[in-house]
Amino acid sequence: MKQVIVHPERCVGCMQCMMACAAAHSKSETLFGALTEDPLPAPRIHVGAGPEDEGFPNRCRHCDPAPCQMGCLPGAIYRAKGTNTVLVDYDVCINCASCAMACPYGVIRYAEDPQAPPGKVVAVKCDNCVHRQARGEIPACVEMCKVGALTFEEPTAAMKRRTGEVAASFSLDREADRVPLAATWELQLEMKRRANALSGRDV
Amino acid sequence: MRYVIIGNGVAGVTAADAMRRLDPEGSITFIARENFSPYCRPMISNILAGTAELDELPIRSDDYYDALGARALPGIEATGVDTGRREVATSNGTTVPYDRLLIASGADPRRIDAENLELENIFFMRTVQEVLGMVRALPDTEHALVLGGGLVGFKAAYGFLNRGKKVTMLIRSGYPLSFQVDETAGGIIQSELERYGLEVRTGVEVTAFEGDESGRVRGATLSDGTSMDCDIVVVGKGVFPARSYLGQEFQTGAGILVNDYLTTSVPDVWAAGDIAEHRDVARRRPWLNPIWPVAVEMGRVAGSNMAGHPMRYPGSLSRNVIRIFGIDVLTAGIVSPRESEGLRTVSHRDARRNTYRKLLLDDEGILVGFVLVNDIEQGGVLMNMVRDRRWLNGLAERALGPHFNVGQVIDTAYSSGGSPALVR
Repeated sequence: MKQVIVHPERCVGCMQCMMACAAAHSKSETLFGALTEDPLPAPRIHVGAGPEDEGFPNRCRHCDPAPCQMGCLPGAIYRAKGTNTVLVDYDVCINCASCAMACPYGVIRYAEDPQAPPGKVVAVKCDNCVHRQARGEIPACVEMCKVGALTFEEPTAAMKRRTGEVAASFSLDREADRVPLAATWELQLEMKRRANALSGRDV
Repeated sequence: MRYVIIGNGVAGVTAADAMRRLDPEGSITFIARENFSPYCRPMISNILAGTAELDELPIRSDDYYDALGARALPGIEATGVDTGRREVATSNGTTVPYDRLLIASGADPRRIDAENLELENIFFMRTVQEVLGMVRALPDTEHALVLGGGLVGFKAAYGFLNRGKKVTMLIRSGYPLSFQVDETAGGIIQSELERYGLEVRTGVEVTAFEGDESGRVRGATLSDGTSMDCDIVVVGKGVFPARSYLGQEFQTGAGILVNDYLTTSVPDVWAAGDIAEHRDVARRRPWLNPIWPVAVEMGRVAGSNMAGHPMRYPGSLSRNVIRIFGIDVLTAGIVSPRESEGLRTVSHRDARRNTYRKLLLDDEGILVGFVLVNDIEQGGVLMNMVRDRRWLNGLAERALGPHFNVGQVIDTAYSSGGSPALVR
């Protein structure tokens, strides 16, 4: 089954995935409609700053077993059968933040949501856009990403390709033949480092 | 295979789920002291506070035991374990034979030494039955007295305040939750509760309770000789493992000692949950962590081991997350001043955003504990770093900031030059 795969080395930190995600989880499911809605929809993907101020796209890994599910007091967090997706039942959620304490990636937020009972703050996290997938669409963050930092593909195929890339980056006989894993990443990091040095900021 | 589980709390139930997943055939018997079907104990205070209903408490479906193919003996207490004959004696006079036994009988509230404890409306707030009694007493309640500033006392006080009652809390140390948070966070919590009408008194204890002619509590005499009015009392002086029915053959510390596979010193007997003393990963020594998430973890490991699939328990970690009125507090590992001697401490208080963060590192730069007040959403990242004994030394200041995220610590190697670790 296809999954969203994150390639942090390609992220330029534009945050358009966050915008697309929020819009996809609004009532109207459009960006312009979402802007006037109450509550404002919350993004489920988060682009943070990495050690060199580079973009770091961060979303739910849908872990198995899922620490948030094991830590959930009222049993609101469950794994949807067949979709490899960890979901929150908003009716059951009591906004206790036990899942925030458990999540190793810090991807659970607390907000009102159009799908939750009105006025109720609930745990909000990536749902793999199951509602879009049911219509044959791909997750909104992947659709929006311009630089290939988010892809929607079979994990085994992606893993195989990455294994090949890693092998090619160091195992060929002649150093000149080796393919750098992510040349643009090095370039981007170097730019960030120089920019930080120029601004006198010690990162 | 006959599995017997003493206790139907979350440790026992999670263990049974694991056993059934791995062993569809074996018989599972619960010996459960409480009559209520398995429920979420930390949520009983929500019933008092009026933020949850009774039907939200069960952690499994109504037909849980049947669906699991298990037998439950509710309302029956284990009174002894004959480890030679492999049977559990119970309070109704029968014995239950076992091949593999899980001790998950949890913990009981610590009693106090005061006169007239048998008066009505004096509670320990440990079971759902007790909380239902408290809710029944609420209409006649004006002034609640809470003994102890630990988690139970604290949650009780919050519950009464949320119901608009006057609350007096007596605590021994200088601030509430002194085991869970440091002095700064404790002060923030206390002043928030005081805004809603809590009165905190330190250094005094109750020596006796006074009742009216109907046997209900009406007041308390304190150790400083003064007395006060109160019409409901919650005693929250901590818990101790419910192990009085177990014999000398069980090695004990504060709880029943277990090894990495959660087996006790007796063959074919495991222990999990509030009663099981394993090791705390931050403190690196035997330690009891009687908290819900640890009981879940232990139950899963014990059940798996009992059904023949070996799993190691990596150790427990003290942790808590609390939301009260306008304040969120998330804490894990070593935080209280009495334990943090010799540790490196970094902290930051942002008055404008009303946040406070404190991190504690050992001499190798390993994160061993932290407190977050508000802005707690990255707490799980730090909690997992404590549990995995991750190095945070050079990044500690960054982790105090508002933009901290897992991308800054997910691989501490790749920012030091050389080829980036891309598979991360």
